[in-house]
Amino acid sequence: MLRRWIEERLPRRMLPEGRWAHLAEPYEGDEVVVLDCETSVFDKKKGELLSVAAVRVRGNQIRLAESLDLTIRSDAVTDPNAVRIHYLRREDRLEGVALAEAIEKLLDFIGNRPICGFYIEYDRAILNRYIRELYNFRLPNRFIEVSEIYVKSKRRHHIHEVHLDLTFEGLARDLQVPIVERHTAMGDVISTALMYIKLTGFGQSR
Amino acid sequence: MTIQINLNQPPFSFLKDEQLDWLTSRLDLVFFNAGALILQQGVPAPGIYIIYKGLVEERDGETGQVFSQYGKEDLFDVRAVLENGCKHTFAAVEETLCYLLRADDFIQLLDQSGDFSIYFNTDLGTQQSMVERQDSSVSEFILSRVDEDVIRPPVYVSAQTSLARVAALMYEKKHDALLVRDGEEIGILTGTDLVKATLLGDKTKQTRAADVAQFNLIGVEYGEFLFSALLKMTQHKIERVVVRKEGQIVGLLELMDMLSTFSTHSHIIAMRIDQAKSLKELVVAAKRLEILIETLNGQGVKITALMELVTTLNRRLIFKAFELIFPPRLRQSVCILVLGSEGRGEQILKTDQDNAIILNNEHDREAVLPLLQQLHQALLDFGYPPCPGGVMFINDSWIHTVEGWQERVARWLDSGNPDAMMNMAIFMDGEPVCGNPELFWPIKASWQLETLRSSIVSARFAKPALQFETPLTFLGNIREDHGNIDIKKGAIFPLVHGVRAMAFEHAIDECNTLERLTILMEKGVLDSETAQGLRDALVFFLRIRLRQQLEHDAPNRGLSQQLDINQLRSVDRNLLRHALHRVKKFKQQLSLHFHLENF
Repeated sequence: MLRRWIEERLPRRMLPEGRWAHLAEPYEGDEVVVLDCETSVFDKKKGELLSVAAVRVRGNQIRLAESLDLTIRSDAVTDPNAVRIHYLRREDRLEGVALAEAIEKLLDFIGNRPICGFYIEYDRAILNRYIRELYNFRLPNRFIEVSEIYVKSKRRHHIHEVHLDLTFEGLARDLQVPIVERHTAMGDVISTALMYIKLTGFGQSR
Repeated sequence: MTIQINLNQPPFSFLKDEQLDWLTSRLDLVFFNAGALILQQGVPAPGIYIIYKGLVEERDGETGQVFSQYGKEDLFDVRAVLENGCKHTFAAVEETLCYLLRADDFIQLLDQSGDFSIYFNTDLGTQQSMVERQDSSVSEFILSRVDEDVIRPPVYVSAQTSLARVAALMYEKKHDALLVRDGEEIGILTGTDLVKATLLGDKTKQTRAADVAQFNLIGVEYGEFLFSALLKMTQHKIERVVVRKEGQIVGLLELMDMLSTFSTHSHIIAMRIDQAKSLKELVVAAKRLEILIETLNGQGVKITALMELVTTLNRRLIFKAFELIFPPRLRQSVCILVLGSEGRGEQILKTDQDNAIILNNEHDREAVLPLLQQLHQALLDFGYPPCPGGVMFINDSWIHTVEGWQERVARWLDSGNPDAMMNMAIFMDGEPVCGNPELFWPIKASWQLETLRSSIVSARFAKPALQFETPLTFLGNIREDHGNIDIKKGAIFPLVHGVRAMAFEHAIDECNTLERLTILMEKGVLDSETAQGLRDALVFFLRIRLRQQLEHDAPNRGLSQQLDINQLRSVDRNLLRHALHRVKKFKQQLSLHFHLENF
């Protein structure tokens, strides 16, 4: 927490420049990007990016038609336990796009929009690791943690955190959000996006 | 990206694979809270919504009257997209997730796919026949008739032509048979004839064609059923027949050509029935009929064609049993009628026996009674359950002479009580199937009276059409009872009986409901839209009923009238709702026409 607090208050550190300078500009629009990464092992330092999916959400709409769903070409040895979770075999990954290209596409897709996800800290760490290597900056975007909004909304109803099931499935159940192809990046993104829409009180058309 | 709804059903199944992939890539997902307005009256729609989860209601924006509800995989609102503005308001009843196909993408698909756009731009009947056509994997020509598609044009030679020249012509024209004109007479000369005459016989290349040709031509009429042509070939052990139209030969029908278009088991059953020498053999053929229906329905044969085929085969079956049981001297002095749905030609799976007999002479009664018992037993063996109401020729009240029947009809019409009227209704749908049909016409004439027009008798006759409620809620949705509706009471009976009442009033000869509708339309009693709408509705009811009946495995599944709404595909549920609305409207029309509110 403290580190993040300091980072956010030290604006000149690791900010994007040149081609990516616009990422640091304040966002004026009404969209957020919901994203999810699948990695070879569940480890911020060692996990290799296998696939990433992202959609833009505006109001009550998930813009599936303009979504991003990338599998990264990599031959990292997968943790057999992880394969059982995300079903991305080495063979599937060899068909994918190069990592640098994927990051570039993702950054173009996100722009300076806020980034939302479930346990977004993890995705942020993974992505920053690569972005630092490639472009030497960290994502300056605002990050929104779905489970945090959830806890806050519950707190308003005086339900304490310890009584909540804060797993992905727990949130999905409580918010009555369908789980779509769990542990595929895109499936998780759609469910997360729906959680976000419900929690932010959209869903009312006009 | 995978989509969480089944797009493998109409109308999306009309799209090609790549169009479907493209559509899938163009969908957005939209969430609505319970109570949220999705589309507002008068405002253009952003596109077509396809429901993934939830429930949506269509209502009048001002009065709040509910027109319809939409559930999983239903789509709305095409009109709002095509006509630039919604006629009604659409709101989420519960939390609802919809896929959204944007209007310009939808219109692009309409432009690209003919069937897809036809589906959205047409009425219920066309939609339904498209769905029916799509359901069929194999097109079935079982009920095709002898026409241009199967016959070959005739090639003539003169009587003087030498066999050598005949052979050359056959080779050149790739015909295996030529017609030989000898004066007024016409004969046929086949490849087999040539071989027999020259190689097996003593004829030479120079022999005249007329010396070898056969002049006793066996033919069929243009427009006859193909299977009757096939039966003729089998009977005469030949491989081709000539086809005549108004007495003129218009072509040859070859066995081989026919088999290529005509490859089901129906003709085998027809032949088995025709060639049966004992009732036992008929029972075997009757049992196969049911299997045939299943196969044909599975192959997607149109329901109207199926009805026609089954009616033909059923009548042959009864006729054959009659021939086996009745001695020739008695055959012409009786007339056996099939009544009810069998008489109307609308039976597919066997329902109960409804039949009656007309005697020429009262004194034949003694001789005929035991034979009728035998025939009744045969029908039971074929799988027709007995009629619970006793409408069968083994009961005295359904055996009369011509005069006896005329009196009975007169009594029915006079009494006007509901039972008498239902008996009249059943009898009115009678169709002679065995014996002497001439006995029936004077009886039929006894109720085809000018005085019935706008009479109280017609009104009493029509009244039962209103006795069962249409299973629609006042909100316009299907009213189910534990997930079921009674399709006969709720849909088929009111429609069939209403049409019958109009046919009764207007002395229409035909028994088939679809044909009655056509005639009522021609006579100007019904407007063409109503008539067509009712035809579509009836065919639809019969189709979905048959589909579910076939899924049962009970012996008398043809009697089951419960329709499980949840088994219906979303597209069929929609069609059902529309069709029920037609029935409801028709009942209101009947009520006005016959002034039934006074009864």
